[in-house]
Amino acid sequence: MITFLQLVINGLALGAAYALVALGFVFIVNATGAVNFAHGDLVMAGGYAAVGLGSLAQIPAVYFLPLVAVIMFVLGVALALLAYFPLINRPPSTVFISTLLCGIILQNAFVVLFGPQAHAAPPLLKSGVAHFGEIEISVQAIGTMVVAAILIASQYLLFTRTQIGRRLRATAEDRQMAQAVGIPAFALIAATFGLGTALAGIAGALLANQFFVYPTGGIPLSVYAYIAVVIGGWGSIAGAVIGAMIISLFQVVVSAYVSYAAATGLLYVTLLLIFVVRPQGIFGERVQRRA
Amino acid sequence: MKNSALSTSWRDGRQWRYGSAVMLGLSLVALSSGLARSADAYLPIVMPITGFLSVEGGSQRNGAVMALEHAPGGKTIDYPVFDTGTSATGAATALDKALSNGKPIAAAVSVFGTEMVAMMPVAAEYKVPLLTISGLAKITESDNPYIFRFLPNDREIKVAHARYVVEKLKKTKIALISDTTAYGQGGFALLKEDFTKLGVKPVYEDSSIAPDTKDMSPLLAKVKASGADAIVVHSVAAPMALIVKQAKAAGITLPIINSSSIVEPTATALFEPAELKDVCAETPSAPETRATPKIKEWADAYKTRFGLEPDGLALGQYDGVMMALTLIAKGAKTPEDLRAALQKETYEGVAMTYKSNGKGDLSHDAEIVCWDGTSRIPKVVEHYAGPDMVLK
Amino acid sequence: MLSWFLSGIRLPLVLATAALAADALFFANPYDMRILTLCGIYALLVLGFQFVFGHAGAVSLAQATFFGIGGYITGIVATHFGAGFLVTFPLSIAGPVLLAVVVGVPVLKLEEHYFSLATLGIGLVVLLLAIQWSDITGGTNGLPGIPSIDLAGLVLSDRRSVLYFVWGLVIVGCLISYQVTRGLYGQAFHLMREDRVAASALGLNIAHLRFAAFILSAAYGGAAGALMAHVIHVVSPENLDLALMVTCLTMTVIGGRTRIAGAILGAILIVHLREWFRVLENYYMIAYGLAALSVLILAPYGLVGAIERLRAMLFGRSPGPKPPSVSEQAPQAAPAGHYDHILAAENVTLAFGGVRALDGVSFTLRDGEIVGLIGPNGSGKTTLLNVISGLYVCDQGQVTFRGRDITGAPAHLISRRGIARTFQHIHLVDDLSALDNIALARAGIDGAGLLKAISTVGHDRLLERARRIAMAAAERLGITSVVMEPCGGLPYGTRRRVEVARAIATGPALVLLDEPAAGLNEQEQLDLAERIKTFAADGITVVVVEHNLVFLAALAERLICLDRGKVIAAGLPDAVRRDPAVIEAYLGLGASEPIPIAAGAP
Repeated sequence: MITFLQLVINGLALGAAYALVALGFVFIVNATGAVNFAHGDLVMAGGYAAVGLGSLAQIPAVYFLPLVAVIMFVLGVALALLAYFPLINRPPSTVFISTLLCGIILQNAFVVLFGPQAHAAPPLLKSGVAHFGEIEISVQAIGTMVVAAILIASQYLLFTRTQIGRRLRATAEDRQMAQAVGIPAFALIAATFGLGTALAGIAGALLANQFFVYPTGGIPLSVYAYIAVVIGGWGSIAGAVIGAMIISLFQVVVSAYVSYAAATGLLYVTLLLIFVVRPQGIFGERVQRRA
Repeated sequence: MKNSALSTSWRDGRQWRYGSAVMLGLSLVALSSGLARSADAYLPIVMPITGFLSVEGGSQRNGAVMALEHAPGGKTIDYPVFDTGTSATGAATALDKALSNGKPIAAAVSVFGTEMVAMMPVAAEYKVPLLTISGLAKITESDNPYIFRFLPNDREIKVAHARYVVEKLKKTKIALISDTTAYGQGGFALLKEDFTKLGVKPVYEDSSIAPDTKDMSPLLAKVKASGADAIVVHSVAAPMALIVKQAKAAGITLPIINSSSIVEPTATALFEPAELKDVCAETPSAPETRATPKIKEWADAYKTRFGLEPDGLALGQYDGVMMALTLIAKGAKTPEDLRAALQKETYEGVAMTYKSNGKGDLSHDAEIVCWDGTSRIPKVVEHYAGPDMVLK
Repeated sequence: MLSWFLSGIRLPLVLATAALAADALFFANPYDMRILTLCGIYALLVLGFQFVFGHAGAVSLAQATFFGIGGYITGIVATHFGAGFLVTFPLSIAGPVLLAVVVGVPVLKLEEHYFSLATLGIGLVVLLLAIQWSDITGGTNGLPGIPSIDLAGLVLSDRRSVLYFVWGLVIVGCLISYQVTRGLYGQAFHLMREDRVAASALGLNIAHLRFAAFILSAAYGGAAGALMAHVIHVVSPENLDLALMVTCLTMTVIGGRTRIAGAILGAILIVHLREWFRVLENYYMIAYGLAALSVLILAPYGLVGAIERLRAMLFGRSPGPKPPSVSEQAPQAAPAGHYDHILAAENVTLAFGGVRALDGVSFTLRDGEIVGLIGPNGSGKTTLLNVISGLYVCDQGQVTFRGRDITGAPAHLISRRGIARTFQHIHLVDDLSALDNIALARAGIDGAGLLKAISTVGHDRLLERARRIAMAAAERLGITSVVMEPCGGLPYGTRRRVEVARAIATGPALVLLDEPAAGLNEQEQLDLAERIKTFAADGITVVVVEHNLVFLAALAERLICLDRGKVIAAGLPDAVRRDPAVIEAYLGLGASEPIPIAAGAP
């Protein structure tokens, strides 16, 4: 029996997956200020990495998840070298477009490498469903929520409690100033792209089991990540998580009462209303423009 | 004239370089296409190789290529492939390019209805027959005489789909679901019409499933609440696979009768065999079942050539192109000859016998296949042909 | 006129255009004609997008939405009602414009990413409607059977006439864009895009400029979408979707964001890239992506910018225009009526996150006096200027200028009433000449507007007059020899003086100068002080924020000292210097000496 509570649980599980997707996006935002519109495609790349590794060795994904992260780290640094560093002194919209183009390249590389069809990656631990009284929830969804919680907490601690986190923020705010005080900005930025992409890859490896991976599957994820980060407040980690939850709430809970299309429409209308009421997002701070 | 936005921009001198580059490019293209034209006939392939429908486009491309590689009568055919990018604008442009590039006798074209609609005026302009497997009903219902279709019209195949559910399974409380793609919306409207004609009003209808929807539990909750006794889905592969998988995981045991996209081997690969129990689908033909020796021979050859299991799309496109090639071998020299021959000849293909109904629909056969939960290869349970697929 | 054609490389350009037209006329096959027609349609789309993205600097993601709405209106009206082009085309422009008007006001208030996402959201809602409202729109399958362009009975059924017709409209689009951007109004966009703070402090209404750009982009988008519907004969949700938006963005960035030729080149190049690579099958979008990325990286200002640089490398920079030979003093804004003090601040208070940057500040200024505003770092001097000039809104208190309450009024209105300012950090547009930077002072005050710009025939008199006034201001600051140089290349001290000249060119009654002497040597400081004194002699009240007391000693008649947001002393310079509270604020508790004017001075 699918109850309201079940739907809320399913919504939280999907929201955790979206939060994981948004996490890598907000990571790069916080450390470079750049909007990486290839992010969804990088999530797909992580999914494909899991599919490829899973087909080589028939083992649960938890064993090769670190390897996915490493592969994706390298891909992220490559992305930074190709689409970010050459454009570092240009208007932010230039990086927006260069990453969009990288996304197009990735999508078509997937077709060449894996074919146009959908693939499913192996589960994190095992497939199947766990029962909690009336409520049932797939083992994969539980795994996703746990991994998401760990990574969200780590990123929060990284930015608020560590020297590296403070340096990353300083670099995002004013790169020249950061370099002037001896912060190795370029290495930090490259590492940021690597880590943000590794996060995308982990998200992809987890999503690709339940929801498949296919070449164009990353486009809506880029949009969701962007929406989550903006609704929540630019650069706020808590905001991104809340934003991701709002999206999944509309997709899973609201759509149980109205059609999917109406739920999607309501999501966008809500988004626009949030902007009218709080133009800085839910967790964003209102600042007077610096003169 | 002081400096201002335009006066500086006009000084850039880019235009002549562009002009010469384009002219050089065009002359190279003209030269190369002139050199390539030593074949007996030119039959371009214009299909969605990239974009949302690239799975289906890839299958039909393979089917066409396989036929063209084995053209009967010792003819050599020139068949460049033009990608449409799963876009109406792209399709019209690509067909235009393909047809202006030589003296085409026909073109093998897209499975995607929206692209077909955009390509039809181009075909009429060049007066070249298009060989397609697109199911969109209206493409043979307009007065364009250049469209030849080698899979059943969706209008017919949906009759088979609905009749199986109502007449064979005896289900009357139907949940009718489709995605929001052109394919989904088209099938939804036809199925709804057919169920009404069969005296069944679906207890639940939903045609708003976006193809990237991930969690289907709200949909399944609504289906359960409606008291449905069967789920009928018309959708592209990914959302359909999610609906079936999540229904099984949630313990929903209702029979699920799908449209043909689930029969494609790339779609069944997403399932554990057990998840396919009590799942059925319509399909124009099911070559992977290798039901006849002829189909088996063809399916094995396909697998050897492309390393993939074949599907109905590939087989339909193969038969269609092969019929055209056979007519060419028999003496059709111009597009007009070929059009006339396709209109009146009967052709014994691998999957079925093809004969135009006067509107360009040559295929009037459909199968219902079901899985028993032990294998990913389905079994044919019902065959519909000709008059079976028309409801008054 | 002949010299216009012979200057730069216009001549080869005209010849190339003629050659291209001849090619289309005599040689092109039907496919080439379709491609060239598509190029024209995309060029229109991009020309429109340049207004909002290039000129206004806002990354709108709604351009494809405007395109799609235009197409759907044409499709629906033409197929359901059988209307001809003369009915459908204006409607297809009006529809997107209407949407832009309705959503423009709330959406354009948003900054950067919020604006982008809001426009994306609007696009997604429209896309959803197009898919779901299938009775009208044909759903995902689209609306087929859209007829060819029908001009009151004259049907453009062959490709050649469609090609000419579309490019005829492209030329009209180019002309309108040229009109909008060539004069003072176009330069106002330039300033607003580069520096919104300076723009509003110079009296430009940023909301109006952004709104105008958004409306124009919607109109062009709708027109392009309508033409596409006629050419492809079907309109479907792909005309609205993100992929088209990406194509539009790519064309704009690769061609050049603000250049008319850039729109055309971007459209031509991207359309052809796809066509050239189409035979690569699976690999063609990879090749397309890599090619577009290379252009993006290698040509920072788009293809047009790259060509201009190449030309400058090969043939040297073309000599810039000559400065205007006559100058004209800026007229001063007239007061609204009688007043006692030109400016009166009363109990002005402003807090940032609990810290009181200004805490009950009250003072008055008389006509024509020069007042120094001093105080240690962080005492609230610049914040006070920001409140007076309307960049910040104070939490409490009142500011009265020439007898009128200006508390909370927007910066551009305050500027137009006669308060001008300079900035602690220089706010100039680097790639405009000093003269044009100064001339921009007139854009808001003289009311450069969209309709005026479009209907201007021949020379833009507003721009010419603004340059004459700018010349007069440059003369007053002694920088006439460098006025034609781009500001980015000028020495720091000169740029400071350009800023002061720009403030004077607005014709102010009150000038607020924020550290005008910073970075100047002693000789330059004295020179600047003398020049500022002449402003006061003309009846302009001057407030100078300065640390440098040598400079102030030569200049100010009165000092006001701020500390931690409060006025701690005000009066004659000598008295303020000896005030114990001032000494404490500057030198710390226990000191008793008056603050030295400068090191070594008594």
